[in-house]
Amino acid sequence: MSLSSALSIINSAFVANAAQSAVISSNISNASTTGYAREVANVATTASGGVEVTSVGREANAALLQQVNASTSQAGYQQALSDGLTTLANTVSDSSSATSSSGATANGNSPSAMLANLQSALETYDASPSSASAAQGVVTAAGDLTQSLNTGAAAVQGVREQADSDMASAVNTVNSLLTQFTSVNNTIVAGTATGADVSSAEDTRDSILTQLSQEIGISTVTNSDGSTSIYTDSGVTLFQNAPSTVSFTPSATLTDGASGNAVTVDGVPITGSSSPMAIQSGALAGLANLRDVVAPQYSAQLDQIANGLINAFAESDQTGGSAPTMPGLFTFAGASAVPSSSAATGLASEIEVNAAVDPSQGGSVNLLRDGGINGSTYVYNSTGDASYTGRIAQLISATTSTQTFSSAAGLGTSDSLSDYATSSVSWLQSQHQTASNQLDYQNSLVSQATTAASNATGVNLDTEMTNMLNIENSYTTTAKLLTTVNTMFSSLLNAV
Amino acid sequence: MSSIVSTYSLGAAMLSSMAQAQNQLSVLTVESSSGQYADLGVQLGDQSGYELSLRSQVDQMQALTAANNVTVTNLTTTQAALDSMRTTAQSAVTTLTSLTAGSTSAATTLQSTGTNALQSLIADANTTSNDQYVFGGDNTGVAPIADYFSSTTSAAKSDIDSAFQSAFGFAPTSASASTISASDMQTFLSGAFADLFSGASWTTDWSSASNANVTTQIAPGESATTSTNANQPGFQQLAEGYAMLAEFGGASLSAATQQTVITAATSLINQGISSLTTTEATLGASQTRVTDANTSMSSQLTILQTQIGNLDNVDSQKIATQLSSLQTQLETAYQLTAQLQKMNLAQYLPT
Repeated sequence: MSLSSALSIINSAFVANAAQSAVISSNISNASTTGYAREVANVATTASGGVEVTSVGREANAALLQQVNASTSQAGYQQALSDGLTTLANTVSDSSSATSSSGATANGNSPSAMLANLQSALETYDASPSSASAAQGVVTAAGDLTQSLNTGAAAVQGVREQADSDMASAVNTVNSLLTQFTSVNNTIVAGTATGADVSSAEDTRDSILTQLSQEIGISTVTNSDGSTSIYTDSGVTLFQNAPSTVSFTPSATLTDGASGNAVTVDGVPITGSSSPMAIQSGALAGLANLRDVVAPQYSAQLDQIANGLINAFAESDQTGGSAPTMPGLFTFAGASAVPSSSAATGLASEIEVNAAVDPSQGGSVNLLRDGGINGSTYVYNSTGDASYTGRIAQLISATTSTQTFSSAAGLGTSDSLSDYATSSVSWLQSQHQTASNQLDYQNSLVSQATTAASNATGVNLDTEMTNMLNIENSYTTTAKLLTTVNTMFSSLLNAV
Repeated sequence: MSSIVSTYSLGAAMLSSMAQAQNQLSVLTVESSSGQYADLGVQLGDQSGYELSLRSQVDQMQALTAANNVTVTNLTTTQAALDSMRTTAQSAVTTLTSLTAGSTSAATTLQSTGTNALQSLIADANTTSNDQYVFGGDNTGVAPIADYFSSTTSAAKSDIDSAFQSAFGFAPTSASASTISASDMQTFLSGAFADLFSGASWTTDWSSASNANVTTQIAPGESATTSTNANQPGFQQLAEGYAMLAEFGGASLSAATQQTVITAATSLINQGISSLTTTEATLGASQTRVTDANTSMSSQLTILQTQIGNLDNVDSQKIATQLSSLQTQLETAYQLTAQLQKMNLAQYLPT
């Protein structure tokens, strides 16, 4: 060993120190960056006894990252579902200020509550059948009920259209993220081949994956050349060397019964019942479920309620003849007969109070008591007595007698109208409650997974500071060594 | 070596715990001020429908209770009118019993008693409650008994006059009335005259009431007949008795024939009184049913409202406790954040 080799070792120590300081600086400056993986300088002894930073490692943890992404996808799914259900639930919400035990609006605006108001109005009318104001009360309550059904149907359509346009923007986001992913992935592949430091590109790639999993559930595979392939959680390839084309055609309007388009990846549908490989999580899956399953089912329930109402209040032939049963108090535009439960699509948005009994449309409220909305064949009160209650009593019992409903709405097929209407509210609020609880749960999972990943791969400032002190000490010592070797050289040269 | 905690998650943990606490704080504030769960839909879930049906039962019973009060008013008015009819009839009977046939004032007394009683009967039978004729059956929009004494001769009066004319060949006011024998009068009264107060003649000449009485729902699933009508036998008997006195009491009849009229009228009025008593008893039973229904609904309402309260209402003491513990938690989190910021190696290194 010579003094000059000692100098060269000292030199290598300075170089290594600088490299390590750079890594620590990078760590400290990214201490608050979510998803940043801590960098570690790998130090090795050189053949000549010096030191060198052979590589900069990245404390990544693929398993934890996958977990963060998976829970992010689930949370995205629940978030989409919960948002839509909250909008729908608002149309049936119990009034939070329902401190009074009576009053028309204390029970919220659900069809069920409005039906109950109609029943109460009919009972008041039953006690004063000759009172025009009691009859008007029934017509007003009936108007509120149709309004509630119309509003509900409009809300369902609004939620479905919103979901459809959200799906379009989610697909745009996915495509743009896949494009970004392509360039980052290429950088990593090239860098890995040449041995360049790709840790910052890897950070970007992880962050893109997390953003992507917000929109669509994914699984990833890392290949030997450092590239990553992305698949949907159902196994459809999203990225393999090149991005797949995710496409979706939004629908401008989605009326009751109309179904929206499916999202496709290279032509394979990944949403909807016809999809062979439907995605399970992510905002896209949640929106598709909301648009194609949950909202249409609620819509079908509203249609069944509307159909039940029209049938319950229908008028039948009172002359002993065979005239068809016709819509009474409740009807719909262009009605020529009462509808059947299997052909009720769209009724909730069309149902209206019959103009023949609505004084504001030139009708006569007394037709409620006497019958005859559809002409003299349908008159129940043939003598025109002012306190005839036979028809009113029929109407009261009609809402509580058993009817047939379509099984497509998922609430059973045989029930009374008022029970069916409350079941519908129960169904919706139950979906709302589940989605809301699931969202809370998934959000806490995301936060736990993020914390776990951050603890495993993130930066602790104190640790970095301690490392910095070590390096500083090492630097001081090396500098001292340099001075000593320098003195030795000087002594040697002076001696010559 | 223990596993490290990243500086990011150290801060984030505090942040998320504070955000959660603040979130919950706003929910609790709403709940403590309203006394109900902040979001009933999320709280109740599939029980929402059950809660709604409880509320609708409450609404229904409140509507029925209010409607029953109207019914009770109608029934009370009806009973009062029936009472008044009965009193008039009883005083008429008293007058008739004390009267001696053939005495000088007998004819005048008979006629005025009959006329006054008949007017009073018509007025009572046309009693209204809430603008509805209570004795109209379900035809409450039309006065049930036509005015017998109207300025244009009423159908009832002209039919009686023509029946008398065809039976005896002269009008009741004729002096020839003194020739009518008691047995002829008896035959006329129980024959042609009596026919005018029953069947089609009654509904044509006297009554516009419907035989169908008003049926009202008084409790969920329970209906009661809550009116009567002027086609009851009591009304016919009283009208017959009074009309008999009003029309023939003043005629110049022989003492025996006058006694026949008095006897026939007394008997009819007494039958009428007993018939009215039966009607009163029937209506009284309906009234009791309505009152009972209200009492039972009132106790059911209490139960229902308690159940709704159990579903909707928060425990205010629990909320108060939660609020204060949440406050403590939040303050602790703030202090911890401040402390953690100070716990930084950089603070302790010599500069």
